[in-house]
Amino acid sequence: MGKQRIRLAVTGLNNTDSPGPGVPFIRGVKESDIFDVHIIGLVYENLEPGIYMEGLCDRIFQIPYPSSGSDELIERIEYIHQQEKIDVLVPNFDAELFSFMKNEERLRKQGIQTFLPTLTQFQEREKHRLPEYGKKYGIRVPASLNLGSLGQITEMEDKFDYPVMVKGQFYDAIQAGNKEQVKQAFMKISAKWGLPVIVQEFVSGTEVNVVALGDGKGNTVGAVPMRKQYITDKGKAWGGITLADEKMLELTRSVIGQTKWRGGMELELIKTRAGEYYLVEINPRIPAWVYLAVGAGQNIPEALVKLALGMEVKPMQAYKIGKMFVRYSYDMIVDLEKFAAISMNKEI
Amino acid sequence: MEIVKEVKISENGFVFNSKTGDSFNLNPTGLALIKLISEGKELDEIKKEFVSAYEVDDLTFEKDFYEFFTLLKHHQIMVQSDPLEFK
Repeated sequence: MGKQRIRLAVTGLNNTDSPGPGVPFIRGVKESDIFDVHIIGLVYENLEPGIYMEGLCDRIFQIPYPSSGSDELIERIEYIHQQEKIDVLVPNFDAELFSFMKNEERLRKQGIQTFLPTLTQFQEREKHRLPEYGKKYGIRVPASLNLGSLGQITEMEDKFDYPVMVKGQFYDAIQAGNKEQVKQAFMKISAKWGLPVIVQEFVSGTEVNVVALGDGKGNTVGAVPMRKQYITDKGKAWGGITLADEKMLELTRSVIGQTKWRGGMELELIKTRAGEYYLVEINPRIPAWVYLAVGAGQNIPEALVKLALGMEVKPMQAYKIGKMFVRYSYDMIVDLEKFAAISMNKEI
Repeated sequence: MEIVKEVKISENGFVFNSKTGDSFNLNPTGLALIKLISEGKELDEIKKEFVSAYEVDDLTFEKDFYEFFTLLKHHQIMVQSDPLEFK
């Protein structure tokens, strides 16, 4: 039987030192036995490495940042759809998800399928709501306080000992060991990601993560736990290894089962010396290290596309334990024409 | 005392704990010791074998053994249900 031809639009082609999940997502889908994919890369910046990677995308379009307004972004997607007939759209940034979730129905009516969490699912796991989330679903989370101003630092000091983690709503996490460092982190993060800035109790332990996919009915379609082996100064995994950790999988199944999570997700956990797991973050999308799951035997990107197309997907249970990924940087030599085309025409 | 089931030990002394993701390199002495432990041998048996195979006295062996054993426990390579048990 021949492969099904699909036209897939993907964002997050920024394979930089803070990589987006677009490139590994595309790699996964390209390895599918059932799909023959035509890739439409959607980029925000004209130097996103995915634009220049040979054989990755068939077409590239620049799209406006969600901060320019949802309508502008969606209208651009509609314009691209007129040219490219998108079957499935996979957004990969936290900051853009809201716009796509809000316009899911509008896109679907035009034939563009997505597979995203609901607004409620998305909002209740937001970092500044994590304590309520933990309480509601019976998950251990670090205590936290939402800072709306520097004046609240005293309140924070009454609650937590140093060090603390200072976090932005969408990205960035800075460890602060004293008041001055909290102030600096607050200024830096609030300037970039707005308010509130979240201060979390520091939980000492090993950072472990799970990439998972929920079918929206409470079933975990795929889940692979990983430990970061090499972490960059931006806190990104530059190397990781799959783990045999049933507790992490149980926790994942519990979160997905209770919330009926729809779409990809990454659970960020801290495992303490005592063997307790603290949920520090839920990222509402596939993480940049998703290709490790593909390499370990669970093609989560392919499964997500199948779910978006309304196909039946059987839960994947097995994966290879002790599979590693090691990221690397690589200088591509590219011609000016591509850069000129994306800069001037906003498409290639 | 027993080696955790998630721990894999290769012939060249590479130890991988698939539950924690930790990996370690054992020197030939450590490898010989961990092999004897994983065979379920008791401390006295292991001591006897070591003292006859290496130039080491009973007291030094026991001191080094407990130190090694503590490391194995610390890194969750080994579990000991009874703290006084050294079987």
